[in-house]
Amino acid sequence: MPIIQATDIVKIYPNGVLANDRAQLSVEKGEIHALVGENGAGKSTLMKILYGIEAPTSGTITLRGQTVHISNPQAAIDMGIGMVHQNFMLVDSFSIAENIALGCESTRNRGLTVDRQQAIRDTEALSQQYGLFVEPTARVDTVPVGMRQRVEILKALHRGAEILILDEPTAVLTPRETQDLFAAVRNLVNEGKTVIFITHKLREVMEISDRVTVMRDARTVDTVHTADTSEAELARMMVGREVFMVVDKPPVDRGKPVLEARSLTYINATGRTLLHNATFTTYEAEILGIAGVEGNGQTELVEVLTGLRAATGGEAFVDGQPVLGYGPRKVREAHVAHIPEDRLTNGVAVMASIGDNLIVDRYYRSPFTRAGILDSAAISTNSGQLIEQFNILAPSGDLPVGSLSGGNMQKVVLARELSSSPRLLIAAQPTRGVDIGAIEYIHQQLVDQRTGGLSILLVSADLQEVMKLSDRIMVMYNGEIVGIFPNTPDLTEEKLGLYMLGAERQPAAEMERFR
Amino acid sequence: MRLSSRQRALLGFSLLMGLLVVALISYKAYDLGSDFSWETVKNTTDWQSVLLVNVLIGISVTLLILELKWDALRVLLTVVVALLFGYLMTAVFSLDAADDLIRGDFRVQVLSDAPSAVDLSYEQDVTADFDPAAGEARYHFAGSEGDEVTILAYATDAEAGLDVQVSLLDSGGEVLETANEASRRFTRQYSDYLTGETDAVIDGFALPANGTYTILVEPEAGTDPVAAELGVALFSDAAPALDLLYNGPAVGDVFNKENADNPVTEARYTFAGSEGDAITVLAYVLRSNVAADLKVALLDADGNTLVQNSDASREQVETYSAELKSTKDAIIEAFILPADGVYTVYTQPEPLTTGTRLSETFKTTNKAYDAFLLGPLSRLNRWVIWIRDALTLIMLGLAIAIVFRANQFSLGAEGQLYFGALASGVVGLTFGDLPKPILVPVALLSAATAGFLWGLLPGALKAYLGANELVSTLMLNTIAQRFYEMVLTFQLQPPDAGYTASEWIPENGLLPPIIDLNGDTVTVAVYLLIFLVLLTWVLIQRTPIGYEIRMIGANIKFADFGGVNTRRTIMLTMAISGIVAGLAGAHLAMGIHRKLILNISIGLAFEGVVVALLARNNPLVVPFTGLLYAYLRTGSQVMERDTNISAEVVRIIQAVVILLITAEALVTFFRRRRIQRRGTIELDIGDSGDNNGTTGAASGGTLEGAHV
Repeated sequence: MPIIQATDIVKIYPNGVLANDRAQLSVEKGEIHALVGENGAGKSTLMKILYGIEAPTSGTITLRGQTVHISNPQAAIDMGIGMVHQNFMLVDSFSIAENIALGCESTRNRGLTVDRQQAIRDTEALSQQYGLFVEPTARVDTVPVGMRQRVEILKALHRGAEILILDEPTAVLTPRETQDLFAAVRNLVNEGKTVIFITHKLREVMEISDRVTVMRDARTVDTVHTADTSEAELARMMVGREVFMVVDKPPVDRGKPVLEARSLTYINATGRTLLHNATFTTYEAEILGIAGVEGNGQTELVEVLTGLRAATGGEAFVDGQPVLGYGPRKVREAHVAHIPEDRLTNGVAVMASIGDNLIVDRYYRSPFTRAGILDSAAISTNSGQLIEQFNILAPSGDLPVGSLSGGNMQKVVLARELSSSPRLLIAAQPTRGVDIGAIEYIHQQLVDQRTGGLSILLVSADLQEVMKLSDRIMVMYNGEIVGIFPNTPDLTEEKLGLYMLGAERQPAAEMERFR
Repeated sequence: MRLSSRQRALLGFSLLMGLLVVALISYKAYDLGSDFSWETVKNTTDWQSVLLVNVLIGISVTLLILELKWDALRVLLTVVVALLFGYLMTAVFSLDAADDLIRGDFRVQVLSDAPSAVDLSYEQDVTADFDPAAGEARYHFAGSEGDEVTILAYATDAEAGLDVQVSLLDSGGEVLETANEASRRFTRQYSDYLTGETDAVIDGFALPANGTYTILVEPEAGTDPVAAELGVALFSDAAPALDLLYNGPAVGDVFNKENADNPVTEARYTFAGSEGDAITVLAYVLRSNVAADLKVALLDADGNTLVQNSDASREQVETYSAELKSTKDAIIEAFILPADGVYTVYTQPEPLTTGTRLSETFKTTNKAYDAFLLGPLSRLNRWVIWIRDALTLIMLGLAIAIVFRANQFSLGAEGQLYFGALASGVVGLTFGDLPKPILVPVALLSAATAGFLWGLLPGALKAYLGANELVSTLMLNTIAQRFYEMVLTFQLQPPDAGYTASEWIPENGLLPPIIDLNGDTVTVAVYLLIFLVLLTWVLIQRTPIGYEIRMIGANIKFADFGGVNTRRTIMLTMAISGIVAGLAGAHLAMGIHRKLILNISIGLAFEGVVVALLARNNPLVVPFTGLLYAYLRTGSQVMERDTNISAEVVRIIQAVVILLITAEALVTFFRRRRIQRRGTIELDIGDSGDNNGTTGAASGGTLEGAHV
């Protein structure tokens, strides 16, 4: 008998979006069950329903054979269902023990004070039992991401979770941390817990799970034993067609230097050094990939280079012209294009039309402005061309960008940036939040542009993506460049992982060779 | 340009609606309802200009539909819902309307052809020729037990030689008291009546019971009856036992007088009647504007109701047209009294039923709403006031729409308006001898400049110092208003003026009128406005700066990312908005008031906010919403003048409109949030989950700010 089973779950959001269409999920006790699917396939919605965040439109959930009604997360917790969200729900300024105890803390003095010692003892005991190492007294904001995740898991276990839902747990982890996590997950299963593991990384599915359920277009495609399947088969089930996750990347000789960044430093308002002494060069016809765990200075580097943030020190030249300290327009006029890491923040204006979104960097120039007046014909010609050229699924350029899917929104960004005849493209997380089909397309575009002579600075949290696309890879840790490597076949994820965690640092002389 | 069938249908429909509105408004404005002829139109003052303005109103309707499409319906629905709410509020204010039906002055009268059962009452005297053949004269009066009465009987001419004797008889004919002479004391005391000792006085006789008494006057025993004029007078300090005499004067009071401590709710009046008398009782309101609805009853001496009635027929109203005002008055006609005695006429307002209360409430409300909704078209001068106010509101709406498009919640239009009015007024007053074609443009230009500068200031504060534009503009508004008052009071006000206002602006400094209705004018500001609307539209939709404004409004981080100099644009946006607001001020000074007055705008700019919000900050829709809003304002003034309902009802309607627009913005906000969420659901790879939902909502909030 499955420990938890969801039958014929239908979820229609109030805006009419069908997020789950007779979705099925059946998880046995003591297994690691992977749930995979493209973005928007409905796996997050299904998990939200299991955890009581969303109510299903129809369908039943049975827990240990009994039909249950999970009305809110508290009810889910009471039933022994725990969830570890991708974005951690921790109080940064509390200690780890306090975070774990929060909400069900033991008290002293008739409930007036919290028994911190008891919380620390509980944390240590749990930590021991499940082999999830944490420092009970450390403040959450001072510990690494991997430990925060373990805190989240302990928090759920502390509340008596028997079934643990892990939502994309590896997205923020380095390869090493991922291995640690997998060990801990196996340990949990040995202790009798059940784990539902949401991911889109098929390699991890193959490695960790016992069974895997694939979702596509709000429906469950199938549930298979991991041992009986392959990555390729899973990918086909996910996408519904054959997927070639290989990019056609011909070798090409790099050309002249384009961007020369020297000693870039950024210190924020509170005095923290977020970017320290970054010196590197990008070249024509080359993709320079930046690897690193998120939050190690990549965002600041990109924003300093594109003029969105004023550098504290250093200088940068594009084709010999200084670009620092003049603001975004000057940078753009030096033919630097920029795909921002969060398109919804500054990559698009969702309420504005596609046409307006496509000209934000050039609206003031001919042919869009003539004699001080905007030429609406030129704007719509432009959007028409780009929609066609970049396969943007939109009937007209007059529609607001907000009506597009994530992948098509990203194509609008890509279309705008690549059509600005750039010398340098700074692409931050270019495939974040887009579906596999669009990822393929964007990867091919980037590589084709590089082959055509464009210099690309690629920042991605997805190490595989960096390794697949880059000609050279630069690793950032704690705001510093800790290594620069040519992307040769002997460069492994594991090796890069050591640099990403700060365990290794390239000698200056060697770094200089590849700078 | 090729149009799809849908676009053609939309265009056709909007043109049709526009034409319909032109036709309706022209019909009312030219008063074609009274005489549908071309002559009526041509006899209207400045009829061509009136037609022009009506056509412009029609165009504004067309633009509304073309620009907003189905959203236009939502704009109208918003207003309709607000009007319905206002109707309910008006009804609540009118809940006491029915009180008028039980309030007011009334009168009661008893008419009869029969001789009156009594012919005297206290403090009254009668004179009549004494008939020697009859040998006696009888008078009747009604009295109450214990009344002390004094009776005089006298010959008016002492030389006539009539010596009288007077007796008091009760209703049974029993003689209670007799007197035959008047002592010297009495002749002195009643020298107005008595002529000598031959007259007779019964002095201070206390009546033994309630009832009618008879005064019998005879020649004194032993003297001859002589033909002479005989007088009888009756005095008593007591209240008269009877209130009414047949065909006597009407008596009455006020029912339910407002603010009275003990309001009169019913009234009783007595009269004496004899068996067989045919009497008619009338109860009626004193003036025809009193709405009270009366009923009347006749009670016998024991208090039993003999007959009652609450209305009068139409014929009766005509018959007794001197008394009865309407069928609501009450009449008892030709009732035969069953016995001798004292009767009581009882009257009261007809008691109000809940039904009456409700129907009166809605009758009043309907009347008020009729004035409210049709008032501005009921007379051409009200139409002029409507158009004139609309011009100001549209300019302010445009000014607000510009800043709101950039998502800047600047409310500085009020202050810019004051400075605009001041600048144009001062120029007009100072250079009054310049020729008009020079002076008017210069005055307008200075108003625009003043507004520009007063907008630049908060713009700079926001852009370079991060000062919240809402707070800074509100503060600057106060400064502008006080500065205006200071200049007005200490510099411009003529020393001998009784109130705070400048001199009249000389003719050369005024906007030339295109419609002049005895001083109520619509000026060339109409043309200026057409120009401003088009200019604002071109600015926002067709210029690089407009693109910047729109992108800043849609997502300021996106504008920053694209290289827009957002600080400069924000500053410029607020300054450009100031130009339009400044011109609105000039229109107030040079077009409407024709001098500078205190409180030239009382929060007009805030009504401009409603106008802009209703128009979704679309400059082509602002003329419609401005006209709509000004129509409501004018209507409310008519309503206040014509009915008891206060114009504050319009404030309520305004508040409801704002609430509804805010609610609507909330709806869009949630829809936006869902788009953001959908975006982040697809962000599964890197960052999904609930945290993101929240940031999505937060950025949705900033995006949506433009609408709020």
